[in-house]
Amino acid sequence: MNDTSNSAELTVSTGEPSSAWGEETLPADDDWVSRLSTPGRAYEHAVAQLHELMIRAARRQVSRMREANALGAVRREEIIHSAADEATMAVLSRLASFEGRSAFTTWAYKFGILHAGTEVRRAAWRDREINLDDIPEQHQTVAQSPEGYAEGRDLANAVHQGLREALTPHQRRVAVAVLIDEVPIDVLAERLGINRGALYKTLHDARQRLRAYLSAHDFLLPVAPREDVTT
Amino acid sequence: MTNPESLSPEAIDRLTANTEPWLSCDDCFELVDIVIEAMVVSSTPLSEEFRVHLLRCPACHEEARSLAEIVAVDHGLSPAETIGRIDSALLGASS
Repeated sequence: MNDTSNSAELTVSTGEPSSAWGEETLPADDDWVSRLSTPGRAYEHAVAQLHELMIRAARRQVSRMREANALGAVRREEIIHSAADEATMAVLSRLASFEGRSAFTTWAYKFGILHAGTEVRRAAWRDREINLDDIPEQHQTVAQSPEGYAEGRDLANAVHQGLREALTPHQRRVAVAVLIDEVPIDVLAERLGINRGALYKTLHDARQRLRAYLSAHDFLLPVAPREDVTT
Repeated sequence: MTNPESLSPEAIDRLTANTEPWLSCDDCFELVDIVIEAMVVSSTPLSEEFRVHLLRCPACHEEARSLAEIVAVDHGLSPAETIGRIDSALLGASS
């Protein structure tokens, strides 16, 4: 897909306060895999370099997340280093799956970003109760004309009925929590003991059912039925 | 259970979004480094399933943007411009 994956050695400035490496020449992609696969001094050095990359990725992710601000600087640093530790282990355990379709650093960064993002979301919601039968707060209707108001009310009523009639109880609880109450998907997944992917699939199926319901009631265009009813 | 008055227009949009063509979060994670690097470095367009997934999965979207920023820096590109290109790509077609 691109020609960067097996390029010559890449110089990357980690550019982060905690970096012990500063600006250093990183191994080429093939060398990363080789050094991280063979015990010895080169392995130890490569693991340390990988960990620094994971800190960089985790720090970037945490710095972009508004919900991280409320956690405080100390907790943020804890999360960055914890996520970097977990991401380093994840990269090492999945090294054989690296196919060279992106640069090794790009492939590795995603693990640091994933772990950091997930940890921040969970930390931000750690002390917050999620009531799966909750009734959301009232919102103002934003219609700007009587006709728009009526149309908005009609659609809201139809969606409300669709939530009740077209979805399974599990789909309804998940849809209300994530799509109405805006509970982060990782947080709800953790509370339900499933992963992000399974929850997104439940949302996908719920949306398909709701769209089909609304279509049958002349609110949306028909959609191709492509749902595995597993939830 | 919610009531109709509690459904904001944004919530209705999230509830009724079309998430086809389908891409799972697992597949998104497997591909994100390839797709984002190609987009940042070579301006390769996002596939439709990837675009739809990022539009409708805030967690994957947030992480893809972070990855794009970091890849942009590695290649001497502007992170802000890179994010702008991604945002334009996401909103460029009907959802």
